[in-house]
Amino acid sequence: MDYKVLHIFRNTPFGRETLLQSLYFCNTIQASPVVYIPKSDKFLFYFSNDVIQVDLDSSYLTDPDTAEARTRNLLSDHGIREIFLTPKNYTASSLPDLPTHFDFFCCPRSVSDLSSRIGLGHIGPKVRRIIKHATFPVLLTSTVFKPWKSIAVLFGGSDNAVNALKMGLKLSLASGFPLDVYTLMEGRDQDVYKAKAQNQPFWEMAEPRIRNWHFWEKNQFDQMLYDIPHDAMLVMGAYGHGPLKDILFGSKLEKIQSTLGNIMMVTGPQSTIRLR
Amino acid sequence: MFFVQNKIMLPLKRAFKLDDRLLLILAGCAAGICSGLAAVCLKLSLEWALEWFHHLRSHLWAVLLPGAGALLSSLFLNKMLREAPGHGIPEVIYAVSRYGGLLRFRSSFSRLVSSFLTIGSGGSAGPEAPVVMSGSSIGSNIAKLFGLNERQRITLVGCGTAGAIAGIFNAPITGLVFAAEVILGEWKIVHIIPMAVAAVAGAEISQMIIPDPVLFNHSPFQVGINDTFACISLAIFTALVSAVFTKVMGQSGKLAGKIPLPAWFKAALGGCAVGLIALVFPVVLGEGYGWIQSMISDTFSMGIALTFAALLAKILATAFTLGWGGSGGIFAPCLLLGSLTGALFFQVATTLFPNLALASAGAYALLGMTGLISGVMQAPLTGIFLILEVTSGYETILPLIVVSSLSSTLSHYIEPASIYFKDLIHKGQFLRPGTDARILTDLNLNELLDTSVKTVTQNMLFREFINLLNHSSQEMFPVLDDTSGRFLGIIRISDIRRYALDPAMYDMIFLNQIMDTRIPTAPMTYDLKDVIDIMDANGLDTIPVVDHSKFAGMISKARILDLYRRELMMQTSHH
Repeated sequence: MDYKVLHIFRNTPFGRETLLQSLYFCNTIQASPVVYIPKSDKFLFYFSNDVIQVDLDSSYLTDPDTAEARTRNLLSDHGIREIFLTPKNYTASSLPDLPTHFDFFCCPRSVSDLSSRIGLGHIGPKVRRIIKHATFPVLLTSTVFKPWKSIAVLFGGSDNAVNALKMGLKLSLASGFPLDVYTLMEGRDQDVYKAKAQNQPFWEMAEPRIRNWHFWEKNQFDQMLYDIPHDAMLVMGAYGHGPLKDILFGSKLEKIQSTLGNIMMVTGPQSTIRLR
Repeated sequence: MFFVQNKIMLPLKRAFKLDDRLLLILAGCAAGICSGLAAVCLKLSLEWALEWFHHLRSHLWAVLLPGAGALLSSLFLNKMLREAPGHGIPEVIYAVSRYGGLLRFRSSFSRLVSSFLTIGSGGSAGPEAPVVMSGSSIGSNIAKLFGLNERQRITLVGCGTAGAIAGIFNAPITGLVFAAEVILGEWKIVHIIPMAVAAVAGAEISQMIIPDPVLFNHSPFQVGINDTFACISLAIFTALVSAVFTKVMGQSGKLAGKIPLPAWFKAALGGCAVGLIALVFPVVLGEGYGWIQSMISDTFSMGIALTFAALLAKILATAFTLGWGGSGGIFAPCLLLGSLTGALFFQVATTLFPNLALASAGAYALLGMTGLISGVMQAPLTGIFLILEVTSGYETILPLIVVSSLSSTLSHYIEPASIYFKDLIHKGQFLRPGTDARILTDLNLNELLDTSVKTVTQNMLFREFINLLNHSSQEMFPVLDDTSGRFLGIIRISDIRRYALDPAMYDMIFLNQIMDTRIPTAPMTYDLKDVIDIMDANGLDTIPVVDHSKFAGMISKARILDLYRRELMMQTSHH
């Protein structure tokens, strides 16, 4: 595989945890990390229909003299050849444009708030906009590094959930880890969810990879969350079924990301997932 | 956004049978109205600020006012909104040429507030560039909201610009011309009609709220043939002042960049310097429209030496304001510098040649404005139409054309890049439609890659390779590492002929013994221009593209030419 993962390095202990998760992810799916060590506190992502200015919190610029050496050390510890991203284009002198052709983007739940607030389980506004517009899925790391051993896909039957299932399959194929599917039945029968998945062209590849498909009743949401292994990579779509599904993140995602400490892969509406 | 597109736009399009052109005109009108409103807001707030601060100017501590304004402006822009300093127009041009006009929403108001703080407190700058930035961003964000495509979004950026300039100067034609000449760099019907509608909308909104017929009033000028000839000398004069102004602005920015102080502190220092200059030359404060009016009305009373000193003082004050971190544009300073230049020229000419029958100092102030605008921006049409519309001085049209065209030509000779394009050219980012650089930038490397190329491995026996050749018409075979898949080199058919003609060698050599490992490769991160440079430097028509040591595909000049032609036709078509 030659997947590329963009990682913005934060030169703090919290940033180290984030990078460790990124490196573990890369080693697990045989991807290459592309590390950007910011020189200014902001950068731009130009997507096809939006431009997002990512304002980094001040901790990203901590001790710039040691940032590169620390990154090199961590990369070499994991046997990964370093690839640093140097922006080629600048919208303004202190405003670099970062390319957006990556397969994954790895970041904590917030990039504009100080890390002390991240543990409160809140996805920052910039990360939300990136998820909404990016063509790549976003890997949201947890506060501390913990190796993951399986993949848990939350499948609610929406188009975004289908995308998430495909993403889960992609990760399962690349890592060799088993795939578990979790469905909270909201007034519909199991067969409806199964039929939705079985109608997908990738179902033939997915079926043998699925270890278990767990169905839970609508009122058993908390039990379902507890049932998800603590060492699983959680994969889910950003938007759900509701009338404002195109504007607000799904209520389930909000609850899950603030309840579970697992590393999460979130697929947005513009994410294009190819199985290769 | 998706909600607006799916729940509002689609039903509207169906109900009213809107085709794309009509939709673009309506969206352009909306952009023009919003930009016009933004322009009016800034204009009114600046009038209020100048009036409010006026009675404080008599105090000695008033020298600190421009410093305080620039400081607040810098803090607001850099710390609160995290915007880059500068007037913003190169940013708009860059967004149009490189990213289909994508501009951040925050730009629709950031420069309005920061320039209000800078200019309102007395900084030497104009409100036009901030409203252009604001209008362009409004246009871009309206396009985003309606889910319009890239080309339509560029048109709406032009609409926002046209509406903003039309609103701030009450000059719709100038708005249209400036948007096409400076921002988009192309004149296409598909842009012109929505931009014209936007310009009219912007001007009408401005007229409704601030019913001023023209910005600068004057009595009709008696312009004769002598004046047309004198304009040749005036054009040389304005071109020189334009070049000096552009140079000083650039050097001032560079000097400020070298000083290791916080941005807000440098902005405050620059502002205080303006305050000090203003103690002797109050003409440098703010946009200076009152002084321009006095020059055009022939009520300006400075002598030659004082006018010359005021001209230098204004150049310095503008450099201190904008180069050191204040916010604002150069339109208004150019107008004031131009009128001073014109007035100075008239004074010198009538002193040296008292019998020369020239029109009046006011007429030359007006012609000087055209000369400076055309020289600094190297946009002759904008220079002509702006002065015509803000003064209604249509009797000066012939000398205006002479001064404008000569001044922009001479300025280009002295200083090849205009103040708006200088940084972009320096960074290699001046990408006008239909130019080689723009086409090469717009072509995607992925699109050009031939990924169907058959690869071979380093330990393949030559006999196996010969068998492979029997079923392939390929000229070059990339050689990969057996285990890691890393790119190692290339086998060219022309290079292995001597082995192929000797069957005894078939079972004796492996491909890693005969592959060319010195072939230059291009990484995926390269621009197409860099790839072509590699090909030219090595005299190759095809080279491999390697992504993180992995072979990604082959790229050939033939394929580049195919897509180059397609892109060129698209960019230069009239619609």
